[in-house]
Amino acid sequence: MTVTQRTAQSLTEFMDDPINFFGQSYTQMHSIDRDELESLQRQAMAIRFQQHYQSIEMLRKLTDRLGVTELDEFNDVVPLFFSHTAFKSYPAALVDKKRFDLMTKWLDKLTSYDLSDVDTAGCTGIDDWIDRLDEQTPLEVITSSGTTGTISILPKDKRGARDGMTLWKICLFQTFGKEPTEAELNPVVDVVWPNFANGKLGHLRIANMIKRGFTGGDESKFHPLYPGAVDTDLMFLASKMRAAASRGELDRLEIDPVLTARKDEFIAMQARQAQDMEAFFTRLTDQLRGKRVFMTSAFHQMYDIARAGLDRGVRNVFAPDSAILTGGGMKGVVLPDDFMDVITDFLGVDRIQVGYGFSESSTFHWGCSEGRYHVAPWVIPFVLDPETSEPLPRTGVQTGRAAVYDILLRAHWGGVISGDEVTIDWDLQCPCGQSSVAFEPGIMRYSEKQGVEDDRITCAATHEVHNEAVNFMKGIEL
Amino acid sequence: MIAYTVPLFLRGRVITDHLVPFDTRVGAAQFQAPDMSKYVEQLPLKSPAEMSDLYELSFDEILDVLEALGNALDFDSNAHLQEAYEASLVANVLPPEMMQNSYRILRPLFSRDNVTEIADSQVGLNYLNGWVPRTLRDGRELRVRAFGSRVLHIPAGNGGLVSAVTILRSVITRSDVIIKAPSNDPLTAIAIARTLADVAPNHPITKHLAVGYWKGGDLAVEENLYQPHHIEKIVAWGGLASVKHVTRYIQPGLELIALDPKRSATIIGREAFDDDDTMREVARRAATDIGVANQEGCANARVIYVLSGTDAEGLANANRLGELIYRELTSLPAVVSTPPRYPNRELLDHLESSRMNDDFYRVIGGEQREGAIVVSQLDEPVDYSPMLSGRVANIVPVDSIDKVTAAVNAYTQTIGIYPESLKRRLRDTLALFGAQRLTSLGYACNVAIAAPQDAIEPIRRMCKWVVDEECEASVVIPLWKLAPA
Repeated sequence: MTVTQRTAQSLTEFMDDPINFFGQSYTQMHSIDRDELESLQRQAMAIRFQQHYQSIEMLRKLTDRLGVTELDEFNDVVPLFFSHTAFKSYPAALVDKKRFDLMTKWLDKLTSYDLSDVDTAGCTGIDDWIDRLDEQTPLEVITSSGTTGTISILPKDKRGARDGMTLWKICLFQTFGKEPTEAELNPVVDVVWPNFANGKLGHLRIANMIKRGFTGGDESKFHPLYPGAVDTDLMFLASKMRAAASRGELDRLEIDPVLTARKDEFIAMQARQAQDMEAFFTRLTDQLRGKRVFMTSAFHQMYDIARAGLDRGVRNVFAPDSAILTGGGMKGVVLPDDFMDVITDFLGVDRIQVGYGFSESSTFHWGCSEGRYHVAPWVIPFVLDPETSEPLPRTGVQTGRAAVYDILLRAHWGGVISGDEVTIDWDLQCPCGQSSVAFEPGIMRYSEKQGVEDDRITCAATHEVHNEAVNFMKGIEL
Repeated sequence: MIAYTVPLFLRGRVITDHLVPFDTRVGAAQFQAPDMSKYVEQLPLKSPAEMSDLYELSFDEILDVLEALGNALDFDSNAHLQEAYEASLVANVLPPEMMQNSYRILRPLFSRDNVTEIADSQVGLNYLNGWVPRTLRDGRELRVRAFGSRVLHIPAGNGGLVSAVTILRSVITRSDVIIKAPSNDPLTAIAIARTLADVAPNHPITKHLAVGYWKGGDLAVEENLYQPHHIEKIVAWGGLASVKHVTRYIQPGLELIALDPKRSATIIGREAFDDDDTMREVARRAATDIGVANQEGCANARVIYVLSGTDAEGLANANRLGELIYRELTSLPAVVSTPPRYPNRELLDHLESSRMNDDFYRVIGGEQREGAIVVSQLDEPVDYSPMLSGRVANIVPVDSIDKVTAAVNAYTQTIGIYPESLKRRLRDTLALFGAQRLTSLGYACNVAIAAPQDAIEPIRRMCKWVVDEECEASVVIPLWKLAPA
C-alpha cells in the first residue's frame, strides 16, 4: 500500500497516531509528497481546531472575539496563535499565596482536559501541585523558568510525552533513506545525562521517559551528573529574585517558609556537586568506556563536559555508533571556535546530531546532512513578520519569527509563536533527499539579536540559576 | 543609509572631519559623527586655570548671554534646531508634533527670570557670585563660594529639554562642560551650542562647551577622558546599564552624580468616587500622567493604585475608572500624546494574554496599539509592570495603603496623588520608603527645574564648595597654645 492510498483512508491516523501512520519510519515521514501532506495537514488542523474550540476556554474566547468560525487555509490559524505569555498569564501572587485552586482553574482554561475535580487542598508549592496534577489528571505539566518573577507552566500530557520519546528514538537511531531495523526501533543503550536527574523543567521532565524508553527498562543504565532533582519552587524563587534585584527590591523578597525549612538540604546538595562531578567522570571512564550510549545536552554543557573530560585525559570515550544529540541557543555563552572539535574529540563518535524546537511546541525537528532542520510532518511551520505577526508568503526565501501549528498537541492549543528568528526556503528541495520543508541553520533568538535581556533561562543555565537561589538563601538570615 | 551627521562642537569650532558611521536605536538608519578617538585629546581643558575667564563674568552678563540664546532658540527661524528636529524624527520614537513641541519650550527656559529663579533657589546667587561670609562660634571668619567644575554630562535623550537644562545648569555654575550627545536625541545639544556660538562668538561661555558623540562603552574615548586630571564630575542620566557602566571610572577625584533609572507610581484615594464629575476629573488627570510624551519618561504614571477596595463595589469602581481613563487617554491632544510609533511587542503579547484571563484582569482598549488600561481584579499589579510603556497602564485596586507603600522603593521617582489631603497624610511615610517627588495628580510630567531632582540637588553637587577661613590668633584659640591635658 502506498502512502497515497493510506492518506485517503486514514486522516484520523495521521492526526492521532502519526508514528504508525508513517510506519515508525523516519524515511517515510520525510518522503511524503508536499501537496499531499499539506492537504492532510489542512484537514487535520480544521478538525483539531474544532475539538480544541470546544475544550480549551482561552482558545474559545480568542476565537469568538476575533469572529473566526473555521480554518480553511494555513494562514487562517495565524491570528489564533498563542505567544509564550499565555503560559505565564497567571498572577504570580497566586503561587505566593498558595492559591493552587485558582492556579488549577487558570490552567484548566489552557488545557483540553477537565481539571475541575483536581484536589489541591493543602498544596505546599509548585512541585507539590504539579505532582498532584500528575496523579489526578492525564497531564504531565512542564515548566520553564524566567527572570521576570514568574515561570511558564505548559500543560503537556503523558500521552504526548510517550509519543515524544518514541519519536526521539526514531529520529536518533534511524537513517534517512533506510527503513528501520528491529534494533533501531528498540535500541538498548546506556543513557549519559549531564544534568540533574529530575525536575519539572521541560528538559528534565524527559529524563524519566528516557530512563525507561532507551534502556530497555534497566534504570541502572541511566547515568545522571547530579542524582537530585531541580526544585521548581526554588527556580520560582530564583526568578522572583532576579526580578526583585532589577527593581531594587531584594529587601522586600519574602521566602516561603516551606523552602526555608529545606535550606540545609539545598546547601548540602550544592556542596556535593564537585563530588558528583568526579563520580560522573569515574563512571564514564570505568563503566561506560567504549559502550554505545545516548547522550544529550545543550552545546555549552556538552562542551564543558568534553573540556573537563579532556583535561582529565579522557578522549574517544564512547562507541562510535553512539547517539549524541545537542542544540540550543548560544546566548551569553562564549565558546571557542573549535568547540565542536573538542566535543568530538572527547566523545569519539561518528556523528553528532542536532535538533531545533521550543517548549511551547512539542516536536523536535532534526538536523539533516546539509545542516537544515527538517520540519516533522504533523507540524505546520510559519514565518511571521517579527513586528506585526502577519504571515509572510509561503514561497521563496523568507526570514522572520518562527511559529508552528503542531497537530500532535492534544493537551493544549497547538498554534504557538516562538521568540526565534528563522529562515525557510519554501521552494527548496533539500539535497539531503528529504521532501519536507526545513528551517535553515543559524536560528537565533530575537532577544539575542537585539542584545536585550531575555526572560528565559535556557536549559544550559539551570545549574547556575539553581546555585544562585541557594546562595541567596545562604546569605540571608532565615 | 546615512540619515544625518552629528558634528563635534569643540569650544566654538564645528568639526565634521573623520566621519564614521553609527547605528540609530530605531530602524535601519545610520548616522555619522567624527571619530572621537581622533579628538579625545582636545576635548578636556588643558589646564583648570583656563576656567578663570568664567570668573571675570558678572552674573548679569551670564543672564544676557542666556537670554540672547533663548531668543535665538526660536524653532521657526533657527536652522540648527530644525536640523535637530529632522534628525530626531529618525532617531527618536516620539512622533513629529511632539518633537516639535519639545523645541518650542526651550526659549522660555532661558529667560532672565527663569534662570535667576533656578540659580538662586538651587544654589544661591551670593554663593555663585562671590564669597559668602559667616562667623563661626569659635570666632573664625568663614567665607564659602560655589565654584564650577569640569563636568562631563551624559544626558538622557527623551526630548530636547534635558540637553537644554544640562547647558543651563553648567553655565550658571561657571563650569567647563563636555556633553556626550545621546543617540536618540543626537543634535539638540549641538544645535543649542551652535546657536550659542552664533549669539556669543568667542565668549568664555561658548569656549567652555564641547558637545560630541561617541558610542557608550568606547574604551578608546572613555579611558582617556574619564580621568580625574581631565574631569571632576560625571552627571549620568538614563538606563541602568549605562549608569552602571560609568561607575567603573569613578575614583577619588572623579565623582558620579547619578540621575539613574526611575519608575513612578500613582495613588488615587477613595474620594475619587465621590461623584461623577470628580471621577471624570480624576480620570483626565490620571490619563495625562500616563499619556504625556507617550509614557517614555520616568515620571509617567504606570501602576496606578486605587483605594477603591477589592470587594465587588470596589472592583466595579476601579473598572469604571479604567474605562474613563482610557477614554481620556485616547482623547489627549497630539502634542501631548499619540498612539506610540513603536509599541513594545512583548508588552502587547502580555496584554493579549491578560485579556484572555478575565478572572484576574480587565483589559480596556489596546486592540489597535493605541494604548490600554489593564485593571487588576486582585490587589496585585501585573507581573509585567516594569514593561509598561506606549500608553499602557495598570490600575490596581487595594483595600489599604500598606499595599502601596510596599511597592515604593529607591527606584521610585514621582508619585502623583489624589486628593491633596491624602498626599499630606502620606508624604512622611512615602519619603522613608524611597519616594522622591510627590505631586498633584495630573502634574507628574510637568516638571519644575527650580527644584531638587531625584532626591538630590544636582546643581549644588555640580559645584565645588570652597572654604576660605580667617583665624585671628587672639580670637580663635590656636592649637599651639593648647596646654597639655
